[in-house]
Amino acid sequence: MKAPVFDYVRVDSVDKAIGLLQAHGDDAKILAGGQTMMATLNMRLSSPQLLVDISQIDQLRKISVNGSTLHIGAMVTHSEIERSEVIRQHAPLLSMAVPHIAHKAIRNRGTWGGSLAYADPAAEWPACAIALGATLVAQGPQGIRRISADQFFLDLYTTALAADELLIDVEIPIGSRQQVVAFQELARRHGDYAIAGIAACAQRDGEMLRQPRFVFFAVANTPFQATRAQSVVDGKVLTPGLVDEAIAALRGELNPLSDLTNTSATKLHLSTVLLKRAIHALSAGH
Amino acid sequence: MEIKGEENIRATVQTVWDGLNSTDVLLKSIPGCEEIQRTADNELQAKVMIKLGPVKARFSGKVTMTNVQPLKGYTLNFEGSGGAAGFAKGSADVSLQEADGGTLLTYVANASVGGKLGQIGSRLIEGSAKKLSSEFFAAFAETVAPGHRDRAEQPSAEDATPSDDGPAASPKAASAQGSNRMWLAIAAAVVVVIVAASIFSK
Repeated sequence: MKAPVFDYVRVDSVDKAIGLLQAHGDDAKILAGGQTMMATLNMRLSSPQLLVDISQIDQLRKISVNGSTLHIGAMVTHSEIERSEVIRQHAPLLSMAVPHIAHKAIRNRGTWGGSLAYADPAAEWPACAIALGATLVAQGPQGIRRISADQFFLDLYTTALAADELLIDVEIPIGSRQQVVAFQELARRHGDYAIAGIAACAQRDGEMLRQPRFVFFAVANTPFQATRAQSVVDGKVLTPGLVDEAIAALRGELNPLSDLTNTSATKLHLSTVLLKRAIHALSAGH
Repeated sequence: MEIKGEENIRATVQTVWDGLNSTDVLLKSIPGCEEIQRTADNELQAKVMIKLGPVKARFSGKVTMTNVQPLKGYTLNFEGSGGAAGFAKGSADVSLQEADGGTLLTYVANASVGGKLGQIGSRLIEGSAKKLSSEFFAAFAETVAPGHRDRAEQPSAEDATPSDDGPAASPKAASAQGSNRMWLAIAAAVVVVIVAASIFSK
């Protein structure tokens, strides 16, 4: 398991990275934390001629708050998110989700932006980004483009990023005091790819949840937002009956993709369990 | 691993038939297809460059057909190899019927994956199959019957019935006078999708 021969360039600016992507087209690949890319190379499932290492671009490594927006740079690692008090305070959903991402060694190198741009269907960050109403900021030869998270994930490993664009930053609106969040994931062993998971966010208003977002992952080629279940719950007093209604709505809108060990029916059942837990967590929310 | 699905192409039998007899059409329809060759009456070979996410690899596949029942159905046997990456092989039962002036194609495929592909696992086989077969049908319908495609019946994700785990299959549509080539075309697509599917299963 050795990678094929490739050239390697470490750039110190976004412009240089974009220039290389333009010059080399399909033959160049961005290297961020390398937690997927290196394995793919070693498996010889890909043989790019050039790797463009963006890990030393300082601009991409920042977590900051600007007014009512939290910014998380593309090269911020999962571990940095795990340790960040700023994120715990302003986007606690991410703090809840991060322990579920693989294992410590991988979190130390794998990046927030790498995970979003890679768009694995079982990944936690894409679902969280949609649940939080995040905006992804891409830079290309024409300048900067902002893409809403719910428009970003197009299909299996396919995003709205153009071939010569680089994901540089993500903007997350800082929630109000009423915002409650929940994260649930089921995996065979801790750190495995999720069998099913949910990232949820809502505004709590007494006994009600308003504008809930229930975003499932590992059940479809892209994160799945359960819009029917959301509208069942939206603005109504939470009762066990209402939760059952939401579950029934989810059954009507979600038809999960199976994998080798879990049938579609299994994943659907697990998704209903996760929805129930998430609604309870939101209503108990903090 | 089993994958099934169905597809309806809004085109006359003759149109579809002509399309399936054209290597040009197949080249345009199979995602990433670089080359298709008939190596015998019932045998077809194809080379396909698969690009999805971080993966980019060239695969070659061979398809043979058995159990031919003209106008009704057919069994495809396929094997695809990606060199060091591994291989996939299996079979697919394909059946055709006329429906509302179009051609309804249903398929059930079984496949196994070995080598590194197998090691990596098969987590995303169904998703990959869905994506690639969708691309295949979109391109095929557009090529043989531009503008005739019924949106409601697009080979979108909803169309492929999610089934128990399986690798993939990809269909192709056509119906015609027992033409072997049509089946070969379907076979090519099936192979492509299965091979592709296996790769992405990381």
